[in-house]
Amino acid sequence: MPVPAHHIVATPPPFDAPPYPVDIFAGHTVLVTGGGSGMGLAMAKAFAQGGANVVVMGRSIERAQEGAAEIAKLGVRTHAMSGDVRLPEAVAAAFDEAEEALGPIDLLANNAGANFPVLAEDISPNAWNAVTRIAIDGTFLCSTEYARRRIRAGKGGAIVNNSAQYVWTGFPGDAHSAAAKTAQATMTKKLAADWAPHGIRVNAIAAGFFPHASSTAGNREGGTEPLQNMIPAGRTGSIWEFGWLSAMTCTPIFGAMTGQVIVQDGGESLRRSLMMPDYVPPRERADGPWGWK
Amino acid sequence: MNGWLAGKCVAIEGDSPAIVSAFEAAGATLVEDEADIWVHVAPPTATKPAHELTHTEWRASMDAGLDRRFLGAKDFAASCRARGQGGAVLFVGAPEQALGADQAAAAGALGNLTKTLGVEWARDGIRVNSILTHETGDTLGYIAAYIASDYAAYVTGAVMGITLDD
Repeated sequence: MPVPAHHIVATPPPFDAPPYPVDIFAGHTVLVTGGGSGMGLAMAKAFAQGGANVVVMGRSIERAQEGAAEIAKLGVRTHAMSGDVRLPEAVAAAFDEAEEALGPIDLLANNAGANFPVLAEDISPNAWNAVTRIAIDGTFLCSTEYARRRIRAGKGGAIVNNSAQYVWTGFPGDAHSAAAKTAQATMTKKLAADWAPHGIRVNAIAAGFFPHASSTAGNREGGTEPLQNMIPAGRTGSIWEFGWLSAMTCTPIFGAMTGQVIVQDGGESLRRSLMMPDYVPPRERADGPWGWK
Repeated sequence: MNGWLAGKCVAIEGDSPAIVSAFEAAGATLVEDEADIWVHVAPPTATKPAHELTHTEWRASMDAGLDRRFLGAKDFAASCRARGQGGAVLFVGAPEQALGADQAAAAGALGNLTKTLGVEWARDGIRVNSILTHETGDTLGYIAAYIASDYAAYVTGAVMGITLDD
């Protein structure tokens, strides 16, 4: 159902009006994991809008290169590389490569993630490991590699993690991602505490639904239009407003902020009424909005 | 701050020099009523063990930390609806466990009130958020201005802190 015409829907400024000056990250380099597409690309573009040079790291070098080419159009230097965030040696090597290409990594965006709706009983050990280790081990390994380098250099820094709106509620039909994304959110607070003495800030955005080319629901028949009225805010998110908030947490403007998980979901994760619609077990709603058939 | 609040009228109730200066720097006009944004800053309560709090002190904390906030937000939302406009409510105060049991009760209630009103008024275009923090300086002002601005149009029903122990 479309959003009724008498409802008021709050909307953000357009992509070409970022919330910070074009040079706020000038002279800085950001590493964005999974930055070649989707939400990672949105983060990367937001940093680029503030003048940061961007290293795009992804499992697929082709996708990383495509993303880097888009980011470069914003007038910054980029470097695309492939790497597996689950392997400590690969992460260290990636940081070496990134620093050789664009200099010291000043900022880190942990976005790399995999996610696909699946019944819990159908999650294979491989699938469980893939989804949880990319988000959990990947965020840990990239963050610690980054922090060791910053501490060694005697410099502070900022990390932003891409968490999810369902971290406090569970996500039936997506058990691996439910576990993985909450681990990211809770480690955010502790990493922030561990590294506060070193001037490294760590925050997370618990993002709602920001459709993009590779999002599951975005590929439904009929696109995302039928989804707008399902969200209290009356719309799905515009992906650049997610990128902006992520980048904002890394600016000196928010310089005292650390250890925070900011929910940006248009109210989607919150309860709407005391009684909810009929409960349908995930295996009986395969054709629903988060189904998998 | 790129004019985050250019053209916006803001009513600020309570005392926070950092918020006032950040909102002005972001281009907002401070007004008494007919505002696009209503910010309520609750004063910190005294920190006392619960058994030493009188009921009068307890009530004063609930009034400032919860009741006045609800009633003020209700009036603001009514004004927005009467004008056919959306708006933003921002509650600012201390974290739940930072002071006494009175603050713990008021801030907890406020957090869930924030989540409730954020959804209840979502289709009035009225966003409702809270910042519960020890921070009183520039970062508080800037985050408050950002969350109140259209840049945070997809943030509603959110309760956030700023510093580590928030």
